[in-house]
This record gives sequence, structure tokens and C-alpha cells, in this order.
Amino acid sequence: MAKYSLSINGKIMSVEADDDTPLLWVLRDNLNLVGTKFGCGVAQCGACTVDLDGEALRSCVLPVSAVGKRKVVTIEGLSEDGDHPLQKAWEELDVSQCGYCQSGQLMAASTLLKSTPDPTDQQIDEAMTNICRCGTQVRIRKAIHLAAKKLNTK
Amino acid sequence: MDFMNSRRNFLKVSALTGGGILFGLVFPSFETNDASTALADYMPNIYIKIKPDGKIVLMAPNPEIGQGVKTSLPIIIAEELGVDWKKIEVELAPLDNRYGRQTAGGSGAIRGRYADLRKMGAAAREMFVNAAAQIWSVSAADCIADDGMVIHKSSEKKLSYGELASKAVTMQIPANPTLKDPKDFKYIGTRITDVDVHSIVTGKPLFGIDTRRKGMLFAMIARSPAYGKTLGNVDDTKARKVNGVKNVIKLKNSVAVLATSTWAAKKGRDALVIQWNTTGKLENSSDHFAGFKEILEKGPTTVGRNDGDVEIAKQKATKVLDVYYEIPTLSHCQMEPLNFFADVRDGKVELYGPTQVPDQLRNDVAEKLGINKDNITVGVPRQGGGFGRKLMTDNGVEAALVSAAAQSPVQVQWTREDDMQNDFYRPAEMYRYRAALTANELLAWHQSAVGIGRGIRGDSYVAGAMVNYRSDSQGFNSNTPTGWWRAPGACTMAYVAESFFDEICLELKKDPVAFRLDFFKKAKDAPVGRVGYDPTKYKAVVELVAKMSNWGTTPDGVYRGFATWFSFGSYAAQVVEVKLEDGKPRVTKVYCAVYCGRVINLSGAENQIQGAIVDGINHAMFPKVTFVDGAVQETNFNTYNFLRMYDAPLDIEVKFVESDEAPTGLGEPALPPIAAALGNAIFAATGKRLRRLPFAGQL
Amino acid sequence: MSTKTKFILVGLTFISAFGLAFSVSLHRPTEKDYISISPLKNDSIASVEAFKQVYKVLMSPRCVNCHPKGDIPLQGDNSVIHSMQPKRGKDGKGLYAMKCANCHQQSNSPGLNAPPGNPNWHLPSADMKMVFEGKTAHELAKQLLNPELNGHKDIKMLIAHADDGLVKAGWNPGEGRTVPPLTYAQFKKAWITWLQTGAYAPAQ
Repeated sequence: MAKYSLSINGKIMSVEADDDTPLLWVLRDNLNLVGTKFGCGVAQCGACTVDLDGEALRSCVLPVSAVGKRKVVTIEGLSEDGDHPLQKAWEELDVSQCGYCQSGQLMAASTLLKSTPDPTDQQIDEAMTNICRCGTQVRIRKAIHLAAKKLNTK
Repeated sequence: MDFMNSRRNFLKVSALTGGGILFGLVFPSFETNDASTALADYMPNIYIKIKPDGKIVLMAPNPEIGQGVKTSLPIIIAEELGVDWKKIEVELAPLDNRYGRQTAGGSGAIRGRYADLRKMGAAAREMFVNAAAQIWSVSAADCIADDGMVIHKSSEKKLSYGELASKAVTMQIPANPTLKDPKDFKYIGTRITDVDVHSIVTGKPLFGIDTRRKGMLFAMIARSPAYGKTLGNVDDTKARKVNGVKNVIKLKNSVAVLATSTWAAKKGRDALVIQWNTTGKLENSSDHFAGFKEILEKGPTTVGRNDGDVEIAKQKATKVLDVYYEIPTLSHCQMEPLNFFADVRDGKVELYGPTQVPDQLRNDVAEKLGINKDNITVGVPRQGGGFGRKLMTDNGVEAALVSAAAQSPVQVQWTREDDMQNDFYRPAEMYRYRAALTANELLAWHQSAVGIGRGIRGDSYVAGAMVNYRSDSQGFNSNTPTGWWRAPGACTMAYVAESFFDEICLELKKDPVAFRLDFFKKAKDAPVGRVGYDPTKYKAVVELVAKMSNWGTTPDGVYRGFATWFSFGSYAAQVVEVKLEDGKPRVTKVYCAVYCGRVINLSGAENQIQGAIVDGINHAMFPKVTFVDGAVQETNFNTYNFLRMYDAPLDIEVKFVESDEAPTGLGEPALPPIAAALGNAIFAATGKRLRRLPFAGQL
Repeated sequence: MSTKTKFILVGLTFISAFGLAFSVSLHRPTEKDYISISPLKNDSIASVEAFKQVYKVLMSPRCVNCHPKGDIPLQGDNSVIHSMQPKRGKDGKGLYAMKCANCHQQSNSPGLNAPPGNPNWHLPSADMKMVFEGKTAHELAKQLLNPELNGHKDIKMLIAHADDGLVKAGWNPGEGRTVPPLTYAQFKKAWITWLQTGAYAPAQ
């Protein structure tokens, strides 16, 4: 066990964990930030996506010891009041079904919009590879376009 | 929960913790639709709760697995009750027999409850109105109820339901409440957003996996790596040395490691040294298919339906189309890997986690632990998908056993590999379809099926419209477990039957839409034997989708496929459009027409259809499970390929046939036809008839 | 300019550059000028033999998977298209929310099926794709030597490339993946031998 101090959602949080513990489980088990989801454990499904210094990191394969000073933003910190344009678009278009994968989808989408404020369908295809078994992809695509519109008319 | 403690006093005002009011109502049984039977004879129930601030809480009685019933069931109550949807709260009901069938499966929640929930809401509304009328000493007929208020029309006096609650519960329960005229519906049929969407997009703890309790240990379980192998010697020395591991428990055929975190439990579990003994047959998928083929070629099969004489028709035919279709084993892969929380101490059991059948789970745990059902509670959180996996109770039972042995609250967490290697799979199947043809006529249809555990369980719509029709099947013995998978039976049979129908259309040079309409006409005008569907409704969806897609005028570079299917009470017809990108088909658009009676929540209903279509495309295209020596080869998404955004249709247009009839199933019916519609479109684009799922490797 | 258009332009630029360079290299006898800076002794037989060994390694999944002919890497011992279809990007490190390093960490993530890792995980960049997939030994040898296609590496730099961290990572592939058919030491020896004996390309 080692002590780590991590920057999560704008706060410095200290945790004690084995160095190989994936950030995902540190978030969920140590910090009770359970919005980041476990889906596959091998970086395939994207349910565990967090924002790490602006990149869409799949936290199930990122050991806590490798996080360092990089800033972690989880779904709980995507916006202060749950009103990020993506969150609003997701609500407006009633995107979710079971809802389980959506926090990862949102975190992937938010990093996409940072680098690409008005993504094309092709760019959405390339960036959004998270799995949703309920099949909400069609609405996710529409919601990303809607959020981009919200962002760009702000 | 507060309202659980007041089982005997529903018809009185019950003080809630904090000064609220519990308003109990009666709920008619599910065995009868006869409203004239005295409602008071039924078991009282609790669907509606009024809080001190007048806030109304509606209970959603069925498990929410993504099918939207946590939203749509309360909509029905709210509609008749006459409350403002924006001001209500919704809670998922815990397991309680007074709620009747609390199952998520068979697309049954709405169709099973629609009539009863309306009646219940209407009865409550009438009681509020009667209460207000009595207080004001006016006629109830002069009062109306809306947005949680009763209003006296002429004086415009108003009282809220909250204010009326204590009086209302003393009113006589209306035996036959007047239902709203559907013309006056405010919510039913409109677009209403999922009640949990804000919690979902802000990452609130909604799911079983999010359960965190004081003193709870995290557990992972080592299970057999192959079907046919059982637990032998266990050496847990290394596992116990893993930092955070608290306990190792040997179960009948598995070993649980309990620890202070999920990761420690996983490391401990992976550090177990276990000898697995081969005690059964170690099966191979290749042997399954070889066995299927042999039965289909040589028999025996059991006849399910036999109209006319297909053999004579085959002799008369100028051509007999005789083809085999292959369906692989599939895993469920709901996004939330299985888990369950259990606390078994002092003869009491608390269970909380993902299950589609809480009642069955309680029975199974009662039996396994020898604990009376009354001492077992089951809480059901929102679930990260179901698709039939959690119609099995193994995850909950296992957690209870671990907790009982450890004498500690535990959360058992499955990895994706655990999930995929310990599933109740959609069974592998093989079909042989034969059609007796002349140059322009289909003389006979003969379908045969073999699958692990079972064969064909239904008829397609050609039955009832064919003079010569035969359906036979055979089960195949295997020790690989099978279960229900979204739209069981229909999901594979529709693919085969509707692809085969397309093959016949090609042979006879018939338009796939027009030719199907011929069948519905025959089934209506001159039915042959039992007709297990409504030809008029089938016709309606086929015509609607043809209109939506402007069938017959395919744009350049676009290839189309058509299919239709009836299942779980509803009809779906689909047109799939593909384009070729680097020679490979990509689905660009899907049109879908649905006949499902009255739509409750338009947004949720469309979402189910769109989702079922994407889900169906995914499973037609990509994944399969292969057994080698009893072991599953595809244990995670790196080899169990799944659809991503770039494989999803760009747009899915959904229309519902307008109907005043009671709602029918919606979670499943749009899935069965899509594989065939896609396969038919791929055939149009590439000339390849794909008779084996999944498609991707063959393109 | 849309990204798609940019891709096409980059692609076209590359194809024409490749075509040109390749045809030029075929007709220019001075090729050796830049590859034989300090040969031990030219020995076409030993060189070709050494390259055949090298080729076995380069065509193994551990190497070929990140030297694909398209812009999407391959994965697994059966070298199938990488799930999620991550794109190369200009710098070879991915695009948008799909950068290589989003999943491939500094070192191998533990567990079966989990992604292998390296601090410098990437594909060859878009302007120097260094395709292995589908190449014959002859084609690959020529390509490796061509400064227009190899990032202007001379023989010294090519020799040094054997010590590249990502090259070495092929022999530490993580659970469940096979290693190349030669040991790293054998590979390095064959690689250097090939280069120092004249860097002859096999006839085919």
C-alpha cells in the first residue's frame, strides 16, 4: 500500500492503495465516486472513461501509481450543476435506456468536443467507440451534434 | 422503507416518518379484467404516496432494465390520477407480492398492467373528487380533478390531493371507476423523458454495482473454466497473502475470495491455485453443428405443425429450394457485469442487486439457505441491461451463500470474463428450410430446426396462409447452459424465415413487400388451420414501412432489405438501407413501422425500437461464442466483437400505427426482423446470401 | 478543409511520394551510398539469410500489428483489425477521444486481454507509415532501407533502432500474447548482420 494524492474534480484527494490498483477501482471503492463504471476491465468498452488532462482515459487499465499530477475529471465533475451542454443534450433527447454506459459515453464525448467543437459524423464515428448494448448510438450521435450547437451558440 | 411497515393499515391515514401521509389503495388482481368484482376484496396495495409537501410519489412495480418501465408504468397511473407529471417522483418498488408479477421479461410489464394501473389511478382520482365534494357539500359531478387538485367548477374552489388525502382514504373505493377518454390523455402517447436521466448523466449511484454499505466486503469468485469440469483441490495460501484479502470460502463448485476492495478481491481470486477435475463431457461448438446437421439430414424430428402435405407438393415442384442456416451461441453481455449485495445474518437476509425475477430469487435463496421467505427482503435497483440474463438467479443466490458463510455483508462482483464464461447462453441452432416451387408459385413450406435444448417454438406467418406447411424440430443435448436471450425463439427464427422468404421472392421474381401482402390476404380471406397472428395488423405495418421508405424507388448506391415479424403481441416491419464503403456494407438508415396498440411514452417507445434495431444489427454482424473442450473462447470484448458507433445506422425512423387498443409488447418485437432485413440488404448489395450468423467474417 | 479531405490529401501525397521514391530507388544504383556506411564485408548470401530471420520477426503479430497497410492497427495473434478501429492520426498517436495512450499505458496492464503498454506506444506517423502488412521480404527490405520511407535513417540509425523501446516491447507483449519467433538477442544479431553485410534484399 502506498499513499497517493490525486487531483480529482478540482480537489486534491489522498488515497491509500496498492500501486497496481486501476484508477477505476480507486474512484469507486476508495473515493465512492461510483459514476465511473466497470464494464470490461480491459479498455474495450469505455464505461470507465474519465478525463485525464483532457484525454479520454479508460481508467480500468490505468494504475493509480501512473496518474501522477495529471488532473482527473469524472462524470461527477463534468459540470458543477449537471448542466454541461452534453448533459443537457442527453436529457433533451432522452438518450439513455439502461443508462449504465452513459457516463463513459459522456466523458468520451466531452474530450471530443474539447478538440473538435463541431464534430462531423465521421469524427464522431472515429472518436466514440464506447459500447452500448441497449443500442443508443443513434441518439448519442444526435446529442453530440446538439451539444456542439449549444456550445457554439453560447 | 417507511411504507413497508404499515402493511395492515392501508385504508387509513398512516403517519409517515417526517409527518407525511401514506395513501393506500386497492389493486385489482391480474387474473381478471372484470372491474365489477368488488375491488375491496382484492389485496390492498401501495402505489401512491403523498409527502408532507404534497409531493406525490408513484411506485414503479417492475424491475427497470433499460426497457423504460420505471417511467412508463407511472405515466399510466399519473394519467388517470390526474397529477402534474413534473411534480411527481418515481420510486422502484421493492419485492412485495401485492404488486403481482414483478418480472422484467417477455415484454410483459405494460401489456400486463395497463388496464389495472388505469383503473387504480382512476379509482384514486374518484376518491379525491368524492372527498372534496363531501367537504364542500357539492355534487361530485360538478368537480374535476387535474394536476393534483380537485376543483369545484362553478365556485372554482380548489383543494390539493395532499390536503384531501386524509379525507380521501375514508371514501368508499369505487367498484368501477370511470376511465379517462383517451382523447383527453395528457401524458399517454406523448414524449416523456426517462425519470432517471438526470441522475444517469450526472453519475449518481443508481445501480446494484454502486452499492456501498458499512462493513461490506468485496468478493470475487473462481468458477469452473470449462463446462464439464468441477472443483478439485484448492490451495489458497497465496490468495490469503494478498493485501486486503479477509477470507476465502469454498462453495460447492467455486471458491470465493473476500477482501476490502474489488481489486484486492480480484487479485486474491486470481492467486488461488485450483485443480479443476474433468467430470463431464468437454464439448465443442464444431461438434454441436455437426450433430445438428446430422439430425436435420436424417432425423428424427418432432412435428409441430403439419398442414396439407409438403411431401406431395415437393414431388409436384419444378424446384425444391433446400438450404441450411446457422446460428451461433451468444452471450448476454449486459453492460453492467453481474453483481449482488447480500447480508445474511441472524436468520435474516437482505438482498439488493440486479435481477429480472426478484420473486424467484427470494424463493431460490429461501430454499438454498433454509430460511423462511418472510425473513428475506429483495431490493431491486435500476439495472445496467437485462436481455434475459437475470431471469436466472445464480448471481443473487451465490451472493447469499457467500454472505451466509462469511457472516458478513458482501458484494459479489463478476468480471466480464466471469460473465461470459458463466452465462446461460442463447443456444446455437441450425435450420433447414425447404420450399417447393414452380416457376411462379410457392407450393409448400417446410421448416426444420435443431438447437441446444430446444427447437422451433413458433410458426411464421406463412403458416395459416399455406396449404402445405410443415414445421418440425428437435432438441440437442449439451452440458453448456442455455437461457433466454432478448426475444427468445423469435430472434433467430425471424432471421431464418425472413431471409428464406427473400430467397423465395428472388426465385419467383416477386416483390418482397407485395408478396408478403398476398400472404396476409390469404390468411385473412382463406385461412388454413390456426392463424396465430392478425393479418390485418401485419398488413398495416408492412404498408406503413413501405410508405415511409418509399419502397420501390431505391436511391442510387443504396441497397435495401425488407423483413417483418410478429412477437410478444406486436408487429414490426423494417426496411434496412446499406451503402458499400470500400466494398463493405454500412447500414445508413433503417425504417421501422410498429403496431403495438397504444403507445404510452413515445420517446421511450421509439428508444426501445431504435435500440432493438441496433442491438439486432450488432448481433447479426459481430459476436459469437465458441466452445472448445467445454471452455468459452471469447471471454471479453477483444474477441467477442461488438458494434461501435461506426457500425451503427446514422438514422432510424420509427412510426407507430395509430391504435386505441391496449398496449402490447415493445422491449423485444423490433429485434427479430432486423437480422433478416440486414441480410436481405447485404444480398441486394453484394449478391451474397448469408445463411450463417454472424455476418462480419463473411463480408 | 474538412478532416476527411485532409486525409485524402495526405493519403494522395503519400501515395505519390511512395510511388516516386520506389520507382526512383529501383533505378538508382547509388542506393548503397546511404546504407553501407560501415559494412563489415559485403556478403549477399549472409545478408539475405540474416534478413530472412529478421523478416520472420517483422511479420509476426507483435510487429506487423502496428505496421498495418491501412490507418487502423491490427490486434491479437491472428492480426485482425483492432477493435474500436482507432485511427493513426498525423503523429501516429490516435485521434480525438481515441488516442493510443487512452488505453495503452506506460507498461502492460495486468490480466488476460488487457492492453499492452509502453511509454511511447504509437503507430508510424502519417508521413512515414512504414507498412509491414502484406509486404514480401524483398519489398520490406527495400522499404526499410529507403530514406524517403524510413524517416531518413542511415545505417547507423537503423542499427540503433533495434534498441528502440517500442521495438523491444514486442518481446514483452503481456499475458496471452505470443512473442516473435526469434529471441530479441537473435533478432538484434540478425538485424545488424543484415545491415552490416551489405543490406541485400532477398530476391522475393
